[in-house]
Amino acid sequence: MSRPNKRLSAAPQELVDRSRPIHFEFEGRKIEAYEGDTVSSALSAAGVEIHSRSFKYHRPRGLLCVAGRCPNCLMTVDGTPNVRACTASVRDGMQVITQNAWPSTERDFVSVLDRLDRFLPVGFYYKALHKPKFLWELARPIVRRVAGLGSIDVDSDGGPTSNHTNRHTDVAVIGGGPAGMLAASAAADSGADVTLIDDQTLPGGHLLTDIREYFDVPDGLGLSTTTGHEIAAELRERVLGHQRISVLSSSSAFGMYQDNLLAIQTGRDSLNLRATHVVMATGAFEVPHQFHNNDLPGVMLASGALRLARLWGISPGKTAIVTTNDDSGYWAALNLSDAGIVVSAILDSRVVPDSDLLTLVRTAGIEVLAGQTINSAQGTKRVKSIATTSANGETRNIECDLICMSGAWQGASGLLLQSSSAGVDHDGIVRSGVPENVTIAGGVGGVHDLGALLSQAGLAGKRAAAKVGFGVPDDLPAIEAELSVFKSPTTSSAESSASPITQTKKTFVCFCEDVSTKDIAVAVEEGFGDVQTLKRYTTSTMGPCQGKMCHKAFVEVAALNLGLSVKDAGATTSRPPAQPVALGTLAGQNHMPRKRSPLHYVHEQLGAEIVELGPWLRPHNYGSPQDEVLAVRERVGIIDVSTLGKLDIRGPDAGKLLDRVYTHRFSNLREGHIRYGLLCSEAGSIMDDGTVTRMADDHYFVTTTTGNVDAIEDWFNWWMAGTGMDVYVTNVTAAWGAINVAGPRARETLAKLTDVDLSPKAFDYMRSATGEVAGVPSIFLRIGFVGETGWEVHFPAEYAEHLWNTVMEAGSEYGISPFGLEAQRILRLEKGHIIVNQDTDAVTDPLDAGMRWAVRFDKPDFIGRAGIAATRDRESKQSLVGFIADDGFVPEDGLSIVTNGQPVGRVTSSRFSPTRGVGFGLAWVPIEMAEDGTRIFIQSGRNEWPATVITEPIYDPEGSRLRA
Amino acid sequence: MRQLLTPNSMWSTHELKDRYDVVIIGAGIHGLSTAYYLAKRGITNVAVLDKGYVGGGASGRNTAIIRANYLTREGIPFFRESLSLYEDLAQELDFNLLFDQSGRLDLGHSESAVYGLRMRTGVNKLLGVDSRMIGPSEIKELVPAIDLRVGKPLPVMGALYQSSAGVIRHDAVVWGYGRGADRQGVEIHPFTDVTGIVRENGSVVGVDVGDRRISADIVMSATAGWSSNIARMVDMKLPLITHPLQAFVTEPLKPFIDRSVSSANLHVYVYQTDRGEVVVGGGVDPYSSYSQRSTLHTLEELAANMLELFPFLRGVNVMRQWAGLCDMSPDYAPIMGEVDGLPGFLLSCGWGTWGFKAGPIGGYTMAELIDTGKTPDLIRPFNLRRFSRGELVNERAAAPAAAVH
Repeated sequence: MSRPNKRLSAAPQELVDRSRPIHFEFEGRKIEAYEGDTVSSALSAAGVEIHSRSFKYHRPRGLLCVAGRCPNCLMTVDGTPNVRACTASVRDGMQVITQNAWPSTERDFVSVLDRLDRFLPVGFYYKALHKPKFLWELARPIVRRVAGLGSIDVDSDGGPTSNHTNRHTDVAVIGGGPAGMLAASAAADSGADVTLIDDQTLPGGHLLTDIREYFDVPDGLGLSTTTGHEIAAELRERVLGHQRISVLSSSSAFGMYQDNLLAIQTGRDSLNLRATHVVMATGAFEVPHQFHNNDLPGVMLASGALRLARLWGISPGKTAIVTTNDDSGYWAALNLSDAGIVVSAILDSRVVPDSDLLTLVRTAGIEVLAGQTINSAQGTKRVKSIATTSANGETRNIECDLICMSGAWQGASGLLLQSSSAGVDHDGIVRSGVPENVTIAGGVGGVHDLGALLSQAGLAGKRAAAKVGFGVPDDLPAIEAELSVFKSPTTSSAESSASPITQTKKTFVCFCEDVSTKDIAVAVEEGFGDVQTLKRYTTSTMGPCQGKMCHKAFVEVAALNLGLSVKDAGATTSRPPAQPVALGTLAGQNHMPRKRSPLHYVHEQLGAEIVELGPWLRPHNYGSPQDEVLAVRERVGIIDVSTLGKLDIRGPDAGKLLDRVYTHRFSNLREGHIRYGLLCSEAGSIMDDGTVTRMADDHYFVTTTTGNVDAIEDWFNWWMAGTGMDVYVTNVTAAWGAINVAGPRARETLAKLTDVDLSPKAFDYMRSATGEVAGVPSIFLRIGFVGETGWEVHFPAEYAEHLWNTVMEAGSEYGISPFGLEAQRILRLEKGHIIVNQDTDAVTDPLDAGMRWAVRFDKPDFIGRAGIAATRDRESKQSLVGFIADDGFVPEDGLSIVTNGQPVGRVTSSRFSPTRGVGFGLAWVPIEMAEDGTRIFIQSGRNEWPATVITEPIYDPEGSRLRA
Repeated sequence: MRQLLTPNSMWSTHELKDRYDVVIIGAGIHGLSTAYYLAKRGITNVAVLDKGYVGGGASGRNTAIIRANYLTREGIPFFRESLSLYEDLAQELDFNLLFDQSGRLDLGHSESAVYGLRMRTGVNKLLGVDSRMIGPSEIKELVPAIDLRVGKPLPVMGALYQSSAGVIRHDAVVWGYGRGADRQGVEIHPFTDVTGIVRENGSVVGVDVGDRRISADIVMSATAGWSSNIARMVDMKLPLITHPLQAFVTEPLKPFIDRSVSSANLHVYVYQTDRGEVVVGGGVDPYSSYSQRSTLHTLEELAANMLELFPFLRGVNVMRQWAGLCDMSPDYAPIMGEVDGLPGFLLSCGWGTWGFKAGPIGGYTMAELIDTGKTPDLIRPFNLRRFSRGELVNERAAAPAAAVH
């Protein structure tokens, strides 16, 4: 079989380098391409006409826009599904396959759905398969398999990650067409730093393929040519060579967020660009016309056919018909004809076309049929002819294999609408309400004529520069006055559609979702009375193109059926992204830091079992948590508590701040004293706890729970903001290491290493001191989370290993043992000490948790006071109590307490106590069950386990060991 | 088949009358389901008014996950009954709501997360919700595509699995209730902006729509994210803060995941629709706002966190990002029923991120309240007065991907 090569003779503006062949695989078949080809151009050259199958009916689809906007060329490239093949550059060895067709796009058996369309009316899935109920369960897996486009390989690693860059620019110009290029150079000439963003490989926009001579281009621009594509080339050289312009090609600005934050995809990476001013030069998209079979392969946008012919040198067809409703169709026909394609006729829906132009095309041998209504395109896998009716009712069938639709345009204003409420009609043209930090240039503002467009774009660039303080800002009013001349054409409220709309089941409005004019008509008949609900019911504009090809037609068809003007019918909402963007590009490098304590490697050497706790890696145990508990109770233990949050609070108002955020009072705390601190939300729920130590008159040292320190730091700063308090909050978590040495021999162990007097008389419980331990300057805090005599010692983190090893050595004669998290949990639980968020939840307040002693109602207002006061004034309904389970049962944390099979409370923490030899823990129970000795039942699996409520800690309830 | 081939009628247009028995503000799921169940009880002189289009608020913006695996004794039965109404709703409304009870996994990546899930599972089981804890190997069986993160930060340690949870077509539910209400005589008035609430002698007696005064025996606000604005019309301040909530969908893919998966540790949840789009959402934005515009930061963060579970999706395109409004209550539970001291006015709000799940039962119970004048037991704990009495219902731990304070 011969391999068709549809290359035309080389054109000056083409993007391919015919001296550099490239090979890739398409459906297992080798395809020859040239450097500069896209997958679609290469496939077209090789004679591939069907590029995809449609979403619902599996109709064959060929190239339409050839600019990366429409859904017709979605393919899977090197494992990535839904790639727009018409903008994907070919690479040697690339693997390309088609999607959503079985067995192939050429012969897709699923396309039988196209003939069953009678049974698939709009919203058919809402009307069927739900009775009887099991039918949907049977049908659903089939529906799921038929739907969807490309497949994904779940075993792949997703490919390389992407990078994020953040930048600022004075002026961002979006769109690299003539308006964008001229605006960029005008702004840069005024002195502004400009970034020009264009989603095509080569800036130039529509002019890239334009061979027309423009004699009305303003003189002041310094252009040496009047030919369209040459003007593009000159402007391109200007922007590429300009020192103050950074040109981003093949980069799509997919998001425009608040305050001109532009999200730009450039290759795999993403750039977040904050622009002081934005020039919107996004132009307009050519969009399809509505006639029966308007989606057949061979029916293309005129601009798409021209791109294929001019940029890649490929013949889009042998005999073309151009359909149009304005002059642009004539120029397209002349251009195609010049490229070597036979244009047999122009079908103009207007009755009186322009006469000079008429002469020109007739001279080129092109017939013009005016006042034509297009009825349908005919053919099965490719257009064979077009049927048309003239104004006097005469129908004609004209043979052709290419239909070029011209003259329907939709402004590319989606990006602007993401971040503003600019006045934009259904056709996407911006007419009013543009924010002060944005200027409109070119087609998106309805200015199409090149001469006017260039004049306007130059002014737009000057305005943008002036707005950010460049050029002569005093000229701004004059510039704006000149700009105001370029008013966009208004749509009259009576105007409906430029050409009559055929309402058939195969007149497609939304190509992505296979929604036809008939579908919209039926939906209106069913009672969907506005574009918003019509959109959601028909799914028009909701596919991969997100309305770029169909919003205008959708609103026109809706308006027609609703009996409204297009203006009154309104528009649907533009949402980001304006161009599809890969998840990986958005994600960038996801940093999930793992934090190690300064003693991490000591723990590893000791054979600790390491667990994750938030970002921290911490020792869970060093072999036997039970033994570690006994070591602390009977001898001495050492634990790494470096991960505790540590905040250094300094300043004359430090006490005032702490009084405000904590429930306790700290301004009256004496130097060298420690107090337990409870932090509550505004509603009075417990957020965090820790200790507060007064180091000096204007200096406090605060510890917080391990995971919360960043949030607490923010919280302090939040409550300081605007108060004028003279306080500095410094997060010193990483700067300070900390150990806790606890147990009956802790004093003897530490005394060997320090001059600080640790004797009971000199160093009382809840007191602090500073001094050296093993030569390291340290803070001693005598506190007792684990319920034994002990000191929390804080020191510069870099001495951690030295300190740990020295203490271990000093304690070896007393049988010192390191203990991990698990032992600490058991030890604290034996003392009934709570862990915030384990034993409390998001609405627990201090009174319910039995910590009235930590709340000072007699001090000035503090955060959470009102909420806690409300609890004080009512009867508590539940209480946090201790319990001992019968028969050595150790319930899992979180099990329910039940009465008659109904949940009435829950176990928050539970362990086996090696000290007492029982299973015990803490639990929330109803207040009537909170009395000592009450029998409660814990649901575990199908069983209810009995337990007895205790109101005192199971270990050392008087706290005598703690204070010894 | 005949139904398939002939266009049916969704709802009709009406002239606004001067008087109704009941005026409901808000044509979202709660307003329309209340109207539907009222009509079933024979109360049909009802108007549902909305300033925008039908289902245009949170009903059209939520991600349509239906589940009952909550935490509290008050919340679980309420959501369980809602799920049970959902199970037969397509048949009841004769409208396929595309309800897929394909199950839902709440992942735990830390000991404390697993503890929280275990707590929920225990209470769920006791209160008749089919939740159970499963380990990594069963997670992998149910969701073969997932990365269990072995040896990485936040490894998947376990999950709460509710097999009867699922995903529904949210718009269809709204339209189905709307059609059902309309067919029984209820009037639906989209694009009808209530500008004031009329009070006489301390009772609410109607609403103002521009210069039209509409009288009603009962006025019910079902306006979710805008509830505070409606409350202001009767000089009331609700304990609600409106936050935006964002989500996005990808371009359609062939199915690779059947169940919905949520991770509180990663602040993200994911499922794939019947059309093949992957829906990704997370927790509410940390600031309050009435803006329904989306932000880049959230999009990037959701994408990054989702790829931690499904890294092979890196090359897949995001198609659309959007935002809706959530009226967050302090205890993450709804506010429903009468307002002490303001007869004639009913509230159905505080719907936060859980409103759609409660749509059917919310309407069912509010209709019962309006009909009988008695508050059904199921919603008694949700009355506004709980805030002055300090009887909060702590559902916070069960909020999906809860991230903020």
